[in-house]
Parts: sequence; C-alpha cells; structure tokens
Amino acid sequence: MERVDTLKTAMVDGDEEACAALARQLIAQGADLKAVIDKLAAEMEEVGRRFERMDIFLPEVLLAAGGMTAVMGVFAPQLEKGAIRERKSTVVVGTARGDMHQIGKDLVALFLGIAGYRVVDLGTDVDPLDFIHRAEEAQAEIIAISSLMTTTMPGATEVLELLKDKGLRDTVKVMVGGAPTSQAWADMIGADGWAEDSSGAVELVKELIGRA
Amino acid sequence: MAYRMWEMLERAHSGPFMEEAEFLNKRIPKAMRAVINKYGVKYDPARPVPADDALADAVWQAACEFFLEVGVYNQDTHRVMHFTQEELDEALYCTPSSYRVGEGRDSRVFGHRDVEDSRPPFVIFSPDITYDEVDHLQACLAYLKEPLLDGICSPLLDEFQGRPIQSRTPWEIGGSLEHAMNLRHAARLAGVPGVFLVAVGTAETDVAQVAVSDPTWGVRPSDGRLVGSITEMMTNNAMLNKGAHYQMYGSFSGNLTGAIYGAYAGGAEGTAILEAAYHLKGLLVHGCQFQQNFPFHLKYGSNTGREMLWVVSLYSQAVARNTHLVQDSNGFANAGPGTDMLLYETAAHALTSTVSGANLWESAPARNKHHNHGTPLEARLGAEVGHAVARQAMTRAQANEIVNALLAKYEEKIPQAPVGQAFQELYDVRKAVPKTEYLDLYKRVKEELHELGIEFLY
Repeated sequence: MERVDTLKTAMVDGDEEACAALARQLIAQGADLKAVIDKLAAEMEEVGRRFERMDIFLPEVLLAAGGMTAVMGVFAPQLEKGAIRERKSTVVVGTARGDMHQIGKDLVALFLGIAGYRVVDLGTDVDPLDFIHRAEEAQAEIIAISSLMTTTMPGATEVLELLKDKGLRDTVKVMVGGAPTSQAWADMIGADGWAEDSSGAVELVKELIGRA
Repeated sequence: MAYRMWEMLERAHSGPFMEEAEFLNKRIPKAMRAVINKYGVKYDPARPVPADDALADAVWQAACEFFLEVGVYNQDTHRVMHFTQEELDEALYCTPSSYRVGEGRDSRVFGHRDVEDSRPPFVIFSPDITYDEVDHLQACLAYLKEPLLDGICSPLLDEFQGRPIQSRTPWEIGGSLEHAMNLRHAARLAGVPGVFLVAVGTAETDVAQVAVSDPTWGVRPSDGRLVGSITEMMTNNAMLNKGAHYQMYGSFSGNLTGAIYGAYAGGAEGTAILEAAYHLKGLLVHGCQFQQNFPFHLKYGSNTGREMLWVVSLYSQAVARNTHLVQDSNGFANAGPGTDMLLYETAAHALTSTVSGANLWESAPARNKHHNHGTPLEARLGAEVGHAVARQAMTRAQANEIVNALLAKYEEKIPQAPVGQAFQELYDVRKAVPKTEYLDLYKRVKEELHELGIEFLY
C-alpha cells in the first residue's frame, strides 16, 4: 500500500523514471495490478477535478499523465498476459477543416486518454473525409470535431453529410464542440452530441457509448 | 520594417526537426517553469495592477530568455526557428517606435507608450464578433461614428449571400470582399475615408487576405493587417504567407496573440511571460509593426478577471519599460452588451492597460462567442476611460485601487455572466446610433466611475 502511495506521488509529480521503477517493483512483489490501476485512475480523476477548478494548470496535468503512461508502459505486458485491463472504446478527435486552434482539441484528447479511452488524434485542420477514413481504420465508435471559428464550423457539417452519402451515418457517433458552437447548432446539423469543454466531452463520450 | 525577412523565413524550413507534442508538452512547460523560478515571478491577487518596476523587468528578462530557449515551431515543416541574442537586440533597436497610419486628414500616429504615460492611448474599436449580413454595413457605420476611434477592426461576417462562410472556399473570398467593401463604404459615409482599418477579420486564410488587398475598394497599404498566433509559440506556412504578403504589400502588420491562462504556459506568471515573449515572435518571425495582445482565461475566454488583469498589466509594463515596441491591449469581457457588468469590465480593462503602457483595442463582449453581441458604446466607454486616466496622469497604485473596487462589483458574477442583448436590440440600426436605454446605462456607469476617481474629460 505504501509503495502504491509513493507511486501515486511520483505520478502526480511526473517523475517518469520513478514511476517505471516503482511499477516494476509492484510486479515483482506480485501486487494486484488491477487494484493499483484503479487507485491511479482515481488519482487522475482528482487531477482532472483540480484542473477543472483551475487549482492546477495544463503542465501539471501533462506531468501526471506522463507518469501514468510510464506506469502503464511497464504494466502493459502483464496486463495483456492476464487480460486484466478492459479496452474501452476508440474516439477519433481533430479540429475541423481550416481550423488551426488546438487547445480545446488537445484537452479533449488528453482527458479522454486519462479516462481510459483509446484516442486517435488527427491534429488540426482535418479533411472531413480523413475523419471518416481514420474512424473506419480504427473501428472508432465516435468522431469528435472541434471548431473555434464560425468559418470552420461547416467542416463538421461536411463530416456528417459525407457519412450520410457513404451510408455510414449509423456506424459512428459524431460529437462537436468549440467556443462558437452550441447544443442548438449541434442539433441543427444532426450531430449526436455537443460538449462545452473537456470534462463535458468525457461525460458525453460515456453517454454516447452507453447509448450505442 | 521587416527584420531580415527572408533570412528569418528560411529558418521555418531549415531549423532543427522536433515532434509537435515534444515541443508543446515538454519544451514549453519546462522552459517556462525554469524562467519563472529563475526570475522569481509571483502572482499577487491583491494587486491586479502591480506597481513593481523590478517585477516588470524580471518578466521581460524571463520572456527574452524563454523565447531564445524555446524558439518558434512551424507546424507544417515540424521545424523549430531559433534566434540569437544579437538578432534580438538588433531587431529591438532598429524597429521604429511609432507609425503614421491611415490616410490624409484621418491619419493618426500609432506609437509606443510608457508606463503611466500622460499621452492618451491609440484606440482601435472592435467587437471581434460576427454580425448578420444584412446589418453589417450599419454596424460598421455605428463604430465609425465614434469620435475617439483612431482605427477600427470592424464587425465580421459569417454568411455571404445567405450561405455560411467556410474557410478556404469561394464563400470565404466572397464574404471577405463584401466585408472590405462594406467597411470602406461605411468609412466614406461616416466622413472618415482615410481612417486606419485593421482589416479584414472575415478573411481567416492567407488566400482570402491576399484577395482583399486593393488600394481602391479594399485594404490599402496604409491600413493594418493581422497575423494570428494559434498555439503557444507556433506558426505555420499560412501565417508566414500572410506576414510575407503584408510586408511586400506595405501594410502595417499586427501580431495577434493570446496567451492562454491555464494552458501550456501554466498560471498567471507563465501567461504574462508568454504574452511578453509573443512580442519577439511578432518582430522576428512575422516582421510586425505592432503587437495585438489578447491573453485569455482557458475556462472563460475572457481577460477581465483579477488574475487576467494582473497578466495584462504586467506584460504591458514589461514591454513598455524595456522596449519601444508598439503594443495594444484587447479586452475580452465575460458579460454581454446592455449590462452594467460589461461596462465595469471594459472600464477595468481599459484602465489597467492604459496606465501599464498599452494602447487600447476595445472590446469583445460576451466571451467573444455570441453573434451580434457587441456594440460601439461599451468600446466608447473604454476609450473615454483610457483618455481620462492618461490625461490625469493616473499612477498604477491609484489604478489598482479603482480596479479592485470595480472587481468587487463583478468578479463573483464571472462564472454566470449575463450574455446581454444584441446590437439590433440596443441600437437604432437604420440610424446607426445607440438607443436611449443603453445610453442611460452608460451614463450611470460613467458617473460611478467618476465617483471612483476617473476624471472624464467631458
């Protein structure tokens, strides 16, 4: 237990070397890895809540996420052997065509990853058809599109229109977000959901996956 | 001038390779933490307008060191542009401290200001938001009627001939031309045909910006243009294209940057240092003549909260005290038009910026996200506050007291700020003048500001 607490501290501090070393020690002593992961995940949720309150900022979240990644890198072979970790759904994220603003998209990708989802981050200025092709390749359940400008919001509409034209609309959920967007706009273009911020996006993904 | 333009641009293609995630997630936070610690920069919530010269100088030193350490990342080539101390010093020395912008009798001097400067700020009026296409000309006209307006970055369009404007399509070109023509036409109708236009905001892409360059109906060399920074210390080829076009066309180029409180640079300290460092990016990478600053809070998208006013004041002082760069400060308020909260926020932002050495760019209401939600009247108040506090030679200490009094009126309401009313509800659109109801509110708030110590000129 004491070692797990030390690991949590190392994770929050972003000390990746210490995280990896402690993770190896836990494996060597035969620890219940699922229980360890659950504790770390709970700590990461707390990190997310602190960020939501702006008690901490993005660099601190990135440090903790780096620590978590280091632990999972060491645990991964053991987890695959025992099929301990359930694989959550895949979400393809990116900003709409023409939109180079990435902070909102980055936060959504980061917090979905922290929540355990597999994230395929297509970056900024994504061609509408690329969203669809990459979702097909990754067998993604959800496409998440961010727009920070009114002139790039039609890029999200294009993704929905192309999905319909290709007969794929029922195979993937589409969620949208970004400063100038709204629930009313999401409803108007026929998106499956709208999120105001990164924490809202994680909740929406949970809801959409549950609805699928 | 554009500092060694082609030599700088070459680095966007020949600089060292780096993965984007490495640059953003590791290099920026690490370098920022290092300079914050080295220079001992510390946020003080009791002083939204700090009066500590050593602190302002420390922010400037930290910004220079951060800029030289981190460089600028080109997202298209995945290469980092690096600069030397000598280049930085040369560029800062050689850049002019003022420019005559606009044309003929409507031209003005847009220049550097000092901390607690008694010269009034150059005021650019701008709502930074989109309007209905049918009301766009009248909205431009309403702004251009404002007597304290030195320049305008006018209302934007998001539809062209009834169709949504989409980036990189002919509708963006069409909407951008319509915007440019409406604005030029409105300037003539307002009797200020040579006024300085920072135009046109509807043209998001490099292609659309090139399309609106025309000395007869569009953007003139005597006008201003913007190159926007998108993510922390990043650029891309489209931005470099814009900058290169502006230089060769002869426009006054502004470096439009918004350091994000809570994002990769961290809290208030990192946000202030990053915004100061952006001045160097504008000077060396984009050859800009002025810096247009709009740091904002990640959660609220505004810069009128306590921590954001501290950021605004501190980087403005840092730049004003250590360079002769031309800078302006863009207000982003939480509340919308027609509310007293917006007027308090605009006054606090204008006051903070003016005494800290900045020019003004007022103002984007309602978190810059609600269509039609912006009017010239709140910008007028910001301009009047700026002129008043400069003329009365207000000190930072006096400003701090007033800003604290203003914050007491609105800071608790920030999370639930009212959206307010649209331009069409608050203005007689056909006459392009404010309605009595909003004018009465403006007069009441102006009286409250006077009681707090702002000596309005009229």
